[in-house]
Amino acid sequence: MESKIDDIGRLIESAKNGDEQAMTKLITIHKGLVFTIILRMTNDYHASEDMTQDTFIKVFMNLKKVKSGEHFRPWLCTIARNVVRDYFRRSKGHATVSFDQIEEFQGQSDDLIRKRAVIQDSMAKLAERDRMLLTLNYYQGFTMREIAETMKMTESNVKVCLHRARKRLRKQLEGYENELV
Amino acid sequence: MSSCKHLGKVIDYRLHRLTDEQEKEFETHLESCAFCQRELAIELAIEEELSVESEPGFIESKIIARWRLRREQGVRSFWLYAYRVSALGITAAVVILVLLPFLLRFPLKSFFEMGQLTSALERMLDGLPAVNPIFVTVGFGYILLIGSSIFTLVRMRR
Repeated sequence: MESKIDDIGRLIESAKNGDEQAMTKLITIHKGLVFTIILRMTNDYHASEDMTQDTFIKVFMNLKKVKSGEHFRPWLCTIARNVVRDYFRRSKGHATVSFDQIEEFQGQSDDLIRKRAVIQDSMAKLAERDRMLLTLNYYQGFTMREIAETMKMTESNVKVCLHRARKRLRKQLEGYENELV
Repeated sequence: MSSCKHLGKVIDYRLHRLTDEQEKEFETHLESCAFCQRELAIELAIEEELSVESEPGFIESKIIARWRLRREQGVRSFWLYAYRVSALGITAAVVILVLLPFLLRFPLKSFFEMGQLTSALERMLDGLPAVNPIFVTVGFGYILLIGSSIFTLVRMRR
């Protein structure tokens, strides 16, 4: 894990000096994370792709602010969150698209599509903070410390809020249990 | 019995919020409780869906191209800003250096009197307090300089 952080740190230092190869590597490593967060927040596949690009451009324009590789992921997620907030502010609400339009679902079985649509639809009904917390918590390898740093909360507060968010999501899913199991 | 009183523990169990002892107790209970098993299956389905990473496709080259453009725009904006500030600085300096001696020689009131202004304007000027031409000129120069800087910074921010 530490060597991975060191690698990220080295890539950041190179990217600060304008090394485009290092930037490309940073994008390749983190684009899935950024895109997943934004997609969970917006439910809009195409807008999420544009916002992922916007996030990375903001990141590279402000890369000098990053002190070490350790803080890069939380900082990146905070920028992604701010990009999504700006998007909501501009569109004055939550943009949602019908799930049959989502390219991500193409080629999957009807049951799986239905199951994913039910969960994502329920996620979309939650508050922005709950969605962000749940997304970060279930994203592979995200520690409580990183979530707390991204959300600007204490670790104990993250745990409490996460528990409440999970309960609220479960409440949204009431009546759809048969689709999930 | 249509439900189980331990159902609420499923989320705590998955979030590792139970103590070791509570966890063991719950696992024992889980083996024999169909309600909790079903609730756990639902929680696992949620976790499975939320841990799926979505991929945006190949966007690296687009981002790099857009970043290059933004950087070039940033450099252009900087030189535009530097050019404007220096141009206005020179203008302000010229205003101060050329007009100041002239105005010092001819105080503001006499300067207007030299021209062909009407007597109405003269009466209006009589009512005005004495104006120090140095302050007027230097103030004018600074207003120009600060105004142009603010204008350029606003443009750069956009």
